[in-house]
Amino acid sequence: MTEQNVQNTRQQTPQQPEAMPLELTPAVDIIEDKSGVTLLVDLPGVERDGLDIDVDKNVLTIRGNINLHTDEKLNATYMDVHAGTFTRQFTLGSELDAGAIDATLKDGVLKLFVPRSDVHKPKKIEVKAG
Amino acid sequence: MISNMIRFPSSLFDELDEVFFGFPASVARPRRERAYPPINMGVTDNSVEVYVFLPGMKLEDIDLTIEKNLLSISGKREGEKPEGEDATIYREERFKGSFKRVITLPDDVDPEKTEAVYRNGILHISIAKRSEAQPRKITVKA
Repeated sequence: MTEQNVQNTRQQTPQQPEAMPLELTPAVDIIEDKSGVTLLVDLPGVERDGLDIDVDKNVLTIRGNINLHTDEKLNATYMDVHAGTFTRQFTLGSELDAGAIDATLKDGVLKLFVPRSDVHKPKKIEVKAG
Repeated sequence: MISNMIRFPSSLFDELDEVFFGFPASVARPRRERAYPPINMGVTDNSVEVYVFLPGMKLEDIDLTIEKNLLSISGKREGEKPEGEDATIYREERFKGSFKRVITLPDDVDPEKTEAVYRNGILHISIAKRSEAQPRKITVKA
């Protein structure tokens, strides 16, 4: 289902730049450490209101609408970006705690931190005196 | 324990690309833009509007100049360094390093009347057209 949607939208050609029908795949950095996984996602032009982060079962979906605040009377003369929406999906491993995701959006960069479930964190076991 | 840590994210994220994109990860990844940053540009009756897609920048790292009718946008985008010693960068698609783009503006602009605003990772530059280039309404007298 998802796979098909992605492919279909990619084959469309923009007829009216104003309508911006295509979806963009945002660039992502993924950093992991003992505490969890950090995702940095480039979403230029996306505001908090236009950002949707959703976890369904173990699928994390990031979707953001670009708002350029353009004048209605603007006639496009050059465009590198032909789409108005960023979309990307990730599968979260069972080692991660999807319920405890921390998200911040600043200057068009989304920072998502997905912590490891407590069970999977390296644990220090205290040895009690006997 | 260590070997588990290293193996786990790789299996985790490799799986995702195949599942969600249906073709190999190398194809599914966004192609690096030939020119960074991407730019959209348009004109109104009174101005030329330039939108530069430049997320995560500090203002002091953006350099903007207009010379004659050439608009030049340059700067440097730093990568975030992993914080902990045990941190590993598993995927790195975001642009890092120096960039420069030069745009030829129409002849009828007035570079003295330029405004630039950085908001939500978009650098918006608005350059007014010279007053003689702007459409004027002419009143027809009886």
